[in-house]
Amino acid sequence: MAGLVVADHLSKWYGQVIGLNDVSVTVPPGITGLLGPNGAGKSTFMKLITGQLKPSKGGITVLGEPIWQNPGLYTRMGFCPEQDAFYDRMTGLEWVTALVRLNGVTDTEAGAMAARAIEDVELTDAADKKIGAYSKGMRQRIKMAQALAHNPELLILDEPLSGMDPIARRKTIRMIKDWGRAGRSVIVSSHILHEIESMTANILLINQGRILAEGNVHQIRDLIDEHPHSVHIKADRTRALAREFLGHDDVLSLKFEEGAVVVQTGRPDAFYARLTDLAASGEHGAIHEVTSPDDNLQAVFQYLVKA
Amino acid sequence: MSDPGRSAAATPGVLPSAVRIFDLSLGQMLWSRRSVFLGVLLGGPVLMAIALRIVDTLHASGFKVNGAAIGGSAIFGMMVWLLFIRFIVPVLGVFYGTSLIADEVDDKTITYLFTRPIPRRSVLLGKYLAYLACTVLLVLPSVMLVFFLIVPIGGGGIGEAFPSLLADLGMLAVGLASYGAVFALVGTMLKRPLVVGLVFAFGWEPAVLLFPGYLKRLTVAYYMQALVTHEMPQDSAISMLLQVFHEVPSVTTSLLCLATTVALTLWLAGRAVERREYVLEQ
Repeated sequence: MAGLVVADHLSKWYGQVIGLNDVSVTVPPGITGLLGPNGAGKSTFMKLITGQLKPSKGGITVLGEPIWQNPGLYTRMGFCPEQDAFYDRMTGLEWVTALVRLNGVTDTEAGAMAARAIEDVELTDAADKKIGAYSKGMRQRIKMAQALAHNPELLILDEPLSGMDPIARRKTIRMIKDWGRAGRSVIVSSHILHEIESMTANILLINQGRILAEGNVHQIRDLIDEHPHSVHIKADRTRALAREFLGHDDVLSLKFEEGAVVVQTGRPDAFYARLTDLAASGEHGAIHEVTSPDDNLQAVFQYLVKA
Repeated sequence: MSDPGRSAAATPGVLPSAVRIFDLSLGQMLWSRRSVFLGVLLGGPVLMAIALRIVDTLHASGFKVNGAAIGGSAIFGMMVWLLFIRFIVPVLGVFYGTSLIADEVDDKTITYLFTRPIPRRSVLLGKYLAYLACTVLLVLPSVMLVFFLIVPIGGGGIGEAFPSLLADLGMLAVGLASYGAVFALVGTMLKRPLVVGLVFAFGWEPAVLLFPGYLKRLTVAYYMQALVTHEMPQDSAISMLLQVFHEVPSVTTSLLCLATTVALTLWLAGRAVERREYVLEQ
């Protein structure tokens, strides 16, 4: 199946400031996480995907069609923006109904669709309360309700977990996964890796307006394994271990910390294999703990965006 | 959960979409801080009318301008022209017209409207219609109150003057529509629309109207003059001088020109909204 979103040498700049720089990427169906630090270009990419901005250079298609000045496509997609902005005097139900009406459905249909979406985001009890009285988590969920009320094929969620408490966060993650299982495609952005990781294995890493990496989390890990990798080893005889490590060309650098040696290696698999052998032999004393700041996705992400 | 895309509808047209935007915006506009300002602004003429009525009741000799006695209808006519047409209507046009889209941008709610399957120009049109309904709903009652308070001064009959009230109400509606459309265009095209709007309404228009020539045709006020039904007292030297240059188009010409102005400026404003990127501040 063709990509949901296809960017072809897509660039966007605001005067002298580059928002997105020559991005070519194909977003597949399913749930895709767009990951990057604040200011990386996620919001610019989201705004280009949702047709709010016009590409400065290159092109972008969504569901097979160009999105800029193509309002018809919005019948097939729903967007939950990052900003915490509403018509606060309206109730949640009134607001979602008013927005769904803009999709050209009748008032009765709009009311029913809004009520169903509000039920999907578990806000039925608060549907008749003014949005101004909602908590942050409820406001995030009512934003999602307006995005999904018209049953779009593609949902685009910009930082949907931002500001939510842990319980709301868990509920929202479950909802997004449910939508994916129900056949919707979702593009969800975040600057926190474990949030994305909990929703999908398919990620796009973005920084400084460029896509750093794309694909499955495991592919990202493989990509990382080609780059220097830090290992923190707590041991009794750290200097003896260090002498041993220096005899191998995959060890790029060494530094000592209290009761530990931190090694940077270019071939983590080979290094770990040797370390296991060393620990098993006891040749250089006991090795108490081996951790790697790079051995989790958060560190991978940080490593990549610093690269 | 329903199948994705099952209920996707065809893209609605500009007018049906504008009507829905109108529904969404009218309540917001009526209960906005700007409408409180509008209420205060419209309270001024009513308070003035009450004061004049009290003065008239206490001193039954009537009112004189430059020695000439004037009746309630003439006072009402002056108030309509000077307070409403030359001041309140342009002010409302500037403050509401320039903010039709800007308010949604400032509140960061424009995203919800621009990511729906409706033409962007329908957002502008719907909000313009909401502006018109909101201002007409608030301005016309104020004018009617002033009418009922002022016209009886000096023995004027309400029944006789009532047809001219209807003409005045129509003229005010035309003025609100015209100024609102012009300033909607200013609001979509320029970065500092409020300043430009105020300069246009209170700098350019009064200045150009004083001089002979074609420039005055580039004002709304020039065409509005033709719609004024009241005779103004012309006793002062300045009034006499102005009378020399007083060139007023016919009612038909004025209405046609104002209708063309509304249609053209709204079309241009809609085109600008379609093409413009709105970058919200983070």
